[in-house]
Amino acid sequence: MRLLERVVPVVLLGLAIAGCGSNPPAETSNSSGPAPASTSPASGEKITIALLPKQKGIAYFTSCAKGAEEAAKELGDVELIYDGPTDGKAEKAASMIDQWVLKGVSAIAVSPNDPQVLAPAMKSAKEKGIKVLTWDADGDKAGRDWFVNQATAEQIGNALVDTLAKDIGGKGKVAIITATLTAANQNEWMKYMNIRLKKYPGMTLVATKPSNENQKIAFTATQDLMKAYPDLKGVFAISSAAFPGAAEAIKQSGNNGKVMVTGLSTPNDMKAYVKGGTVKSVILWNTVDLGYLAVQAAHAAVKGDLRTGAKTFKAGRLGEKKIAGDNVLLGDILVFTKDNIDKYDF
Amino acid sequence: MKKRFAHETALLALLFALLAYAKFTEPKFLALDTQRKLLEELWELALISIPMTLIILTGGIDLSVGSAMGLCAVVMGMSFQRGYPPALCALLALVAGLAAGALNGFFITRVKVHPLLVTLATLAAFRGVAEGMSGGASVEGFVETFKLLRDPVPALIFVAFVAIAAWFLNAAPGGVWLRAIGFNETSARFSGLPVDRLKLRLYALSGLAAGVAAVLYAARFNTAKADIGDGKELEAVTAVVLGGTSIFGGRGHVFGTVLGLLLIHETREFVKWHWSNEYIAIVLGVLLILSVLMNRFLGDGES
Repeated sequence: MRLLERVVPVVLLGLAIAGCGSNPPAETSNSSGPAPASTSPASGEKITIALLPKQKGIAYFTSCAKGAEEAAKELGDVELIYDGPTDGKAEKAASMIDQWVLKGVSAIAVSPNDPQVLAPAMKSAKEKGIKVLTWDADGDKAGRDWFVNQATAEQIGNALVDTLAKDIGGKGKVAIITATLTAANQNEWMKYMNIRLKKYPGMTLVATKPSNENQKIAFTATQDLMKAYPDLKGVFAISSAAFPGAAEAIKQSGNNGKVMVTGLSTPNDMKAYVKGGTVKSVILWNTVDLGYLAVQAAHAAVKGDLRTGAKTFKAGRLGEKKIAGDNVLLGDILVFTKDNIDKYDF
Repeated sequence: MKKRFAHETALLALLFALLAYAKFTEPKFLALDTQRKLLEELWELALISIPMTLIILTGGIDLSVGSAMGLCAVVMGMSFQRGYPPALCALLALVAGLAAGALNGFFITRVKVHPLLVTLATLAAFRGVAEGMSGGASVEGFVETFKLLRDPVPALIFVAFVAIAAWFLNAAPGGVWLRAIGFNETSARFSGLPVDRLKLRLYALSGLAAGVAAVLYAARFNTAKADIGDGKELEAVTAVVLGGTSIFGGRGHVFGTVLGLLLIHETREFVKWHWSNEYIAIVLGVLLILSVLMNRFLGDGES
C-alpha cells in the first residue's frame, strides 16, 4: 500500500511530461499567437542572436551589451538575447548555450570564461548549423566559426609602449609588472613590447616582475623596483590586478608624476588615479563598439556576408572592418586620459 | 501516511501548474527532445540528493558532498594526466569519494562529533585538498574518452540509485531503522539497532555518489578541476527538504526527493528559458516558502 502511494505520483508525473511533450508540432503552429517571445527563425525574417558575456552584470560587459542593443536596433531584423551567468560560472554559461540551441537561435556569440568547459556546448551548437562566434576572448577553435577580436597582441604591445613613451618623454628606465611569468596573454604582449621598445632607444627595460594576479604583490614589487632603481621613470603594469597595485605604490611613495605607470583597465577602476595625477593614460578598447561589432558580425555570418577569405566586411556605423583569417578585428585601441575619461562609464 | 501522500500531491500540483503555464507560453519547452536535453543538467545533483535524503532521514546532514565532488574530479584529472587508463581514472575517483565519505562517517560515529560540524569542516577541507593537489589547474579531454557516459547512462544510474534506496526504505528493515534513528537515536541504540554501522555506510555512500557525479561532470564538461560541485550540497539539501523530508529526521522518502528535484529542475530551466537566469533564485525561494506553508497546512508539522 505504502509503495503504491508513492509510486502513483511518480507515474502520473511521467505521464504528465510525456503527455505535454508528445504533441509539440501542433503546439508550435499556434505559438505565434500568445507567445511573442517565440524565437524560431522560421517565424518571419527575424534573426535571433544570443550574446553571452563571461559574467552578466559587471560594468565591462554591461557596456558591451549597450553596443549590442544599438546594433540590433540598427539592423532591424535582429532579436537580441543578452544573458550570462551572474556569478561567471562557465557550467551555467554552457547550459545557456544548450538552451539557445534547443530554442533554435540563428547565431550565438560567446565570451568564454573557461574555453574547455564551454567547448562541448559550442561544438554541438555548431554541428546543429548555428553560427557560433567568440568575442572578447577566444575559445576552442573547433567550436566556433569566427572570433571577434578586440585587439591583437601586437596592437596591445605597441599601444602600451607608445603610450608610456609619450607619458615619460621617450627616455628613462622602465620596468614591467606582469600577471604570472607563465601567463599566455601577457607573454604574447611582452614579445611585441620588446620589439616596439627598439623604436625608443632612450628607454631601457630594467626588470620584469610577476604579481601573480595579486594587487598586494604588485604593490610591493613596485616599491622594490623604485628602491632598486631610484631613477626609474615608468612602469608597465599589464594585468588588471597589477595596474591599481602599482599605481597605489607610486602614489603612497610620493612619486606622483616622477614615475609613470600605464596598463590595461576599465576607466572606472582607474579614474581616481588619473585625476590624482599618478596615471596619465589607461589603455583599453571601446567596449560599446566591441558589443556592437559582435552583433554585426553574428548577423553577417548568418546572412552569409561574412565569408572566409574576405579581407573586410561592412559593420554598420563602424564602417569596413578588417578580417584576418577567422578573426574579425575591432582594430582601435582607446587611450583614456584625464581629458576624456569622464566620457566613459564602465 | 495519508499526510505524506498529500505533500507529494501538492508538489505534483505545483509541477503541473508550472508545466501548464509553460505549455501556453513556451510550447517548444515541453517538446520531448528539449526536456531530454535539459535533463542532462540534473543528474549530478540528482545523484547526490539520494544519499542526502537517507542521511537527513537519520537526522544528519552532509555538507561536504559538493567539495567531495571537487576532490574526486581532481583525483580523476591527475590520474588521467599521468596516462592511466580511463576506467582506472574513474575508479580512482569513486574510491576517493568513498574514502572521503568514510572519513566523515568515521568522525561522526567514532569520534561522536555532530554531522553538521564534521561536514562543515570537510566542506572546507576537501575543497582545500582539491585546490592544493591541483594547484587550481584543470585537466581536459574527457569528452571523447568518456563518450560511454553520455545521455542515457546518467539517467539509468540515477534510476538505479532511486530503486535501491526505495527498496532499502520499503522492503528491507533499513527503512524502519533509519527513521528510528531520526526520531530518537538514543532509543534506537538501546533497541540494539546497528546505528553506527548504518551511519558510517550512509556517509560513505554519499561520498561515493559525489564520486560518480564528478565523473559524469567531467565527461559532460570535458574538464576536471577543483571548483566542481561548488554549492551543490545546499541544492541537494533544498531538493530533499522540498521533497517533504523533515530536516530533523524521521520523516520523508526518496520519492519526495525525486519530485523535489524535478520541480526545482523544471522551474530553473523554465525561468531561464522564459525570462532570464537571474530570476531563478527568486522563483526557487518562493517555491520553498510555498512548500513550507504547504507542510503547515497539510499538518505535516515541524519542517
